[in-house]
Amino acid sequence: MNQFLYTAFVACIAGIVSIWLYAALIVTPPQAAAEAADEASLRTISKAELARHDHAESCWKAIDGLVYDFTDYIPEHPTPPAVMLRWCGKEASEAYHTKGYGSPHSPAADAMLPDYLIGRLETNN
Amino acid sequence: MTPTNARRTAGFLPPLPGPAGRRCRWLLIGLLLLPPVTAVVGSMATTGVPGSLVFSDPATWLQPLGSLTGILALAWLLLALMLSIRLPGLDQPLGGMLGLWRVHHYLGAAALLSALLHPLFLLLASAPQGPGATLALLQPMPRAWPLWTGWLALGLMLLFLAPSFQFFGRPAYQRWKLLHLLAGPAALIALAHGIALARWLSPQQAIVTWGLLGSLAAVAFFWRKGLSPLLARRPFQIDRADVLANGVIELTLSPLRRTIEFTAGQFVYLTPDIPELEAGNREEHPYTISSAPAELPTIRIGIKSLGDASWALQSVAAGERVYLEGPYGRFLSDPAHRPQLWIGGGIGLTPFVSAARQLSHIQADCDITLIYCANDITRAYYLRELQHIAEAVDGLRVIPHFYLDQGYLNAAFLRQAAADLDKREAYVCGPVALIELTEELLTRLGTPRGAIHTEAFDLL
Repeated sequence: MNQFLYTAFVACIAGIVSIWLYAALIVTPPQAAAEAADEASLRTISKAELARHDHAESCWKAIDGLVYDFTDYIPEHPTPPAVMLRWCGKEASEAYHTKGYGSPHSPAADAMLPDYLIGRLETNN
Repeated sequence: MTPTNARRTAGFLPPLPGPAGRRCRWLLIGLLLLPPVTAVVGSMATTGVPGSLVFSDPATWLQPLGSLTGILALAWLLLALMLSIRLPGLDQPLGGMLGLWRVHHYLGAAALLSALLHPLFLLLASAPQGPGATLALLQPMPRAWPLWTGWLALGLMLLFLAPSFQFFGRPAYQRWKLLHLLAGPAALIALAHGIALARWLSPQQAIVTWGLLGSLAAVAFFWRKGLSPLLARRPFQIDRADVLANGVIELTLSPLRRTIEFTAGQFVYLTPDIPELEAGNREEHPYTISSAPAELPTIRIGIKSLGDASWALQSVAAGERVYLEGPYGRFLSDPAHRPQLWIGGGIGLTPFVSAARQLSHIQADCDITLIYCANDITRAYYLRELQHIAEAVDGLRVIPHFYLDQGYLNAAFLRQAAADLDKREAYVCGPVALIELTEELLTRLGTPRGAIHTEAFDLL
């Protein structure tokens, strides 16, 4: 058993290190990505337009003033789809930051957000 | 009083109903299956049957597998901690401490394996979200404590479990024991990680479930490391220290307060309180009791120099103080029930010495053949006393076997020593090599597997 465990230990550590190196080598640094998505170039989306995308076939959400299109991501989210669908077409900052019960999303989730960014929510003034 | 009780021999435990080894195996299988079954059934009850798991699409099963391995690692770690409680008596249904310890050891192995696979699955599952998501898992921001506590717990687990599974060779006993204390902090940190990231349970359910398991583990850990050294250890004074041979000493101990009631073949943890000891002062080590229960309150313990601590004990003098904790173990059982075959090698003779001394005190009927294995007559330090006892006790025969004269123990020797091997309950204690050889020989000679009982203090 010791030999088996040692083999598993080496294999898993090697796997984790390989994934780390791979991800680190091909990643666009987050700062660069943020710069690339030049805020000025973002389209302004009205609340009325946001509200129209409130279903599984087209699910937009506003989080912290930015609008994301999560339509393609819903099947990949760890919870059943209903949990995410509840917030389609809505201002979902609080839902995103608390997951509905007070614990925030992981940094991994934060890092995924830019991939779904489509615009900026219009401000009232 | 049942007839079985009426026929009990004083100072011996009755035989366990059914083989203890099988009971240990079932306990292990039960404890290994309990967390995955609960997790899968529980998750299906709260979040519904998981969406179709498509084998060709790893994205559908890597994430659930990542969650499951995390749940299993934490649950098995906590169960292993619970089993480390070491309360005298708790080990009895499982045939002694060694059975319980084996279950604990395998649970630890399962927890480690699962904890290693857990991040691997989750890292792979993050691949579709791009390398940024993967890196966020690998290099979490300081405020993302639920993530880095996971890595910290895994690091600690590797640190305290690597020696247990001899990843880098055989560890020194004391270093292993010290590192093993990290199990407490590791479990605590893993609990924080698990509760914060529980996805299959609501936060309230997560706190209740993990909190309950965590509390049980904490109670076991606190008893073992905090309370038992204060409450369960009993002070004894060394009355005599008899040198039996080079590197073998027998200590005669009398209780300063209460003694420890034991039966033949059990062992205790001995902690010396002798500041001038060259090594191992205030360190606990297991030693088998060599005296008869009939000699209580006095307890004798045979100690062979096998490491630093047992080497240092060879030079202790009368009047010093030691602490004993126990008794543990369930190796020997009542010889009134079936004829027995005892095979002992080296210091592994001590449980048989205790039993033979007891038989000589109570003059009980028995049918026992003891094969005394030693290198030569100079290393058979209990032989003369055992032969002397055998002359007085009807039904006890002592047959020496000297390796340097006769070579390895073999089938012909065993058959000559006891013709009815298939009818005897066999008890073997000694070096691992002797136990393995004897098990193989006895099985070949017709002793049923369930009738072979072995004890080796090879805890790693």
